[in-house]
Amino acid sequence: MVLISETCSVAGQIFFKHAMGGKGARGVNIAWGVAVKALGFFLWVGLMSKVDLSYLFPFDGLNRVLLMFGASIFLKEKMTLNLWVGVALICAGVMLVSRS
Amino acid sequence: MTDIPPSATDQAKPRAGWFFNPYTQISLSIILAAAAQLCLKKGADKAVPELWLGIEGLRSGWVWLGICAMVTGLFSWLYSLRFVPLNIAFTLAGLEQVLVPLGSWLLLGEHIGPTRACGILLVCAGVFTVARPLMHVEEKL
Repeated sequence: MVLISETCSVAGQIFFKHAMGGKGARGVNIAWGVAVKALGFFLWVGLMSKVDLSYLFPFDGLNRVLLMFGASIFLKEKMTLNLWVGVALICAGVMLVSRS
Repeated sequence: MTDIPPSATDQAKPRAGWFFNPYTQISLSIILAAAAQLCLKKGADKAVPELWLGIEGLRSGWVWLGICAMVTGLFSWLYSLRFVPLNIAFTLAGLEQVLVPLGSWLLLGEHIGPTRACGILLVCAGVFTVARPLMHVEEKL
């Protein structure tokens, strides 16, 4: 659930970016961005009603990890050492939090 | 900082006065974003936890307050991005990962055990590490 919510948020972000950059149909991109972001938002609030905020919020760090992987796959962005270290730290932290 | 992105070298000058200082605005945006999460949580607690989507959370004034804080914070953020280099902005935005758990401990009275605290610290370290490379990704999107 957390992953779906975060993926929606990242996808929405990318649609907005495209709309700003003028790639493709602007109206369509904005509409998709709003729709996907809204879905991510409501999933997030739904999750909040179930668990502690201090438990849920660290998962927001995965947002950056997803953005990174999205960029390396779709934009052929190179993964630098710094990125790997950061991604590993975030994942390790999220794993610890999910055990608490 | 050898590679300042073009967006940061915008010729525009920030308006005079401490309130329009880009760093005041960026701090404001981070505090508002963290406050928004706390408000949302407060509102979400009143929602029926059976449903996946927190739509009925919209009945709570806290959720609306959270949304307002989010939107206001977004404007401060967009304003300050015209003047603050992206890598600094992203590093500062990582402070949210500290502020939110701190707020949920102090204001919402959540219990944060040692395992969770360690996890939060690791996530923070990771978020700070990726701030700079993330800047390049943002620019290419």
